[in-house]
Amino acid sequence: MNIHEYQAKKLLKKFKISVPQGRIAYTKNEARKAATAVSEKGPWVLKAQIQAGARAKGHFAEQKAKKVSGIEVVSSLEAVGQTADKMIGSTLITPQTDKKGKLVSKIYVEEHIKTKKTFYLSLIVNRIGSCITLLVANATDNIVELAQKKSHLILRVNLNLHQRIKKQDILNVLKFLRLDAFYFQALKNFIQNLYKAFVDLDATMLEINPVGIDENDCLKALDAKISFDDNALYRHKDILNLMDDYETPETTLKAAQYGFKYKNFKDGNIGLIVNGEGLALCLYDYLTHLGCAPACYLNIRGGTDEDKIAQSIKLMMTNPKIEGILIDILGGFVRCDLVADGIVSAISEIGLNIPVAVRFEGTNKQAAIKIIEQSGLGLLVADLLSEAVEKLLNKMKEDA
Amino acid sequence: MSILANRNTRVVIQGITGRQASFHLRHILSTPTNVVAGVTKNATESSHLGVALYESVKAAVEATGANASLLFVPAPNVKEAVFEAIDAGIKLIVSIAYGVPILDVMEIQQKVKAAGAVFLGPNTPGIASCDEAYLGIFDQNILKKGRVGIVSRSSTLTYEAILETNQAGLGQSTVVGLGDDMIAGASFEKMLALFEKDEDTDIVVLIGALGGTYEEEAALCYQNLKIKKPLIVYITGLENLEDDIGYASDILTHGKVTVEDKKQAFRQAGAIVLDNITDLHTALLRFKK
Repeated sequence: MNIHEYQAKKLLKKFKISVPQGRIAYTKNEARKAATAVSEKGPWVLKAQIQAGARAKGHFAEQKAKKVSGIEVVSSLEAVGQTADKMIGSTLITPQTDKKGKLVSKIYVEEHIKTKKTFYLSLIVNRIGSCITLLVANATDNIVELAQKKSHLILRVNLNLHQRIKKQDILNVLKFLRLDAFYFQALKNFIQNLYKAFVDLDATMLEINPVGIDENDCLKALDAKISFDDNALYRHKDILNLMDDYETPETTLKAAQYGFKYKNFKDGNIGLIVNGEGLALCLYDYLTHLGCAPACYLNIRGGTDEDKIAQSIKLMMTNPKIEGILIDILGGFVRCDLVADGIVSAISEIGLNIPVAVRFEGTNKQAAIKIIEQSGLGLLVADLLSEAVEKLLNKMKEDA
Repeated sequence: MSILANRNTRVVIQGITGRQASFHLRHILSTPTNVVAGVTKNATESSHLGVALYESVKAAVEATGANASLLFVPAPNVKEAVFEAIDAGIKLIVSIAYGVPILDVMEIQQKVKAAGAVFLGPNTPGIASCDEAYLGIFDQNILKKGRVGIVSRSSTLTYEAILETNQAGLGQSTVVGLGDDMIAGASFEKMLALFEKDEDTDIVVLIGALGGTYEEEAALCYQNLKIKKPLIVYITGLENLEDDIGYASDILTHGKVTVEDKKQAFRQAGAIVLDNITDLHTALLRFKK
């Protein structure tokens, strides 16, 4: 789960990380009020609150906001109002959003901080090392590209859980950033506080891009991005409340209500219902290999509740691109017969107008096949994956 | 003999009285698996489905000599339960639960390593040595005793690999699920080394996935093995579908790691690399005696 910048900064403040004074605004009047509250005479930074990076490189779709980007520095209160008016209610397109962009419903108004130096700093779950890794770079642009092409320009320090960060590690960071020894203590505190926030909040990524050193030699988080471990949200009810439903596609949200995962692909006309990520991807490989393409997949995970499964199938059938559905369930924890009940009840309720191929294997397979066959819904039943795909494609061809 | 678990493995089941645990326990008890104990807090009965109950893993180990644990405890309690098993001296731990927090898994990893134990999971179907021991949620009807070893990082594809083996008219020696989550409990390397030594395994099937460098390390390990049993590899995952934080973190911590890189590493190491899982049975037929 991700949150907005202003929410992240508020959280970080609790961990003694210094951030610029800022306030959220939903209208231009609020923006002006926010501006006077955070700084007497400016300049100010207006930041569109959407959950996507590269906002400063973004542009708005609407004509009235053509000349502004997702982050603007302005020096008069009048300009605060004008710029806020352009941003709020407009659609921001950045290199990290899709082509349609994202609607900006609120902006963050901050005091502008003059900096002596800025740099990139983040903490991230490193699955390869099974540890938390500190990443540092002098550059603040295109870090992902940097990581792929000029990897040596990023300093990586693996941190040990529950151990204090070593002095030598901090010294290495200082040297890498070409910073004077004077900054040792400030840098140490900054990294340690960030680390504490990361662990306490069950983050998977905590990115400060950039960190700025202001005129008082204080290290400030000028931007903040936090991703949380969804599996740990049960111990952070307060964070769960920060979720912005507008940031997630409706189908994904609905599927999540049932504990399932839904994902759309760019093209394709086949809907996949599976009970594992690996299975979805392997089917994607296989269908692509055969020259056709999946439109979306629904991973019902370990779900065994008949109603939930029925709801999810209905959800998938709302996708207008789908011309055929392939249901592939390999039961271990999932019991095939319960899934079969769900399929039958969903399809009988909404009526069947496209081919559906079903393949079960594993726990209670025979019972499941019996349910499907006795339903009289004309579903295609197969024993093997290749057979299921073949049957589905043939039927789709016939129907076309 | 199979690997890691066999007829002599003495299994304790943690969280034995839960609904899911009971469902799968009935299946497990219908196999030769040597289930010696169950652990549940606040036990009101002395046994569950005929398995003797204990209040702690330690008590179960002392009374029964249990040396492997299968966990049916829910995700929030997994860390504590694994710690308890390790502290009681258990060396093989299997956790089925889906959704264990990543930081918990990291802590588990540290403790497992220090104790020299093997941890499978979280989010794994477990381990099954055919006709010997079933520590997990496999449907044993689809498993057939044979000489193909399977190790996988994707639960559902483990089943697919089992079915493909059956379709080739072969069966399995041991099937191991390493864990599907961002951080897998055990490594491919370790399993390859064990399969290499196992007299009951002739061929090894490895199912990898995008994310991490588990496959690259396994390929290197295979390249350096002295006696090479045939290794058939399938790797799932397309980069453009992977928008999860795990993949982003791979790029940041290690540069780009692609499915093609993984496949190439295995080809170089002398393994057979498949493009589709449905090709597995034909690939296996080549080795049918």
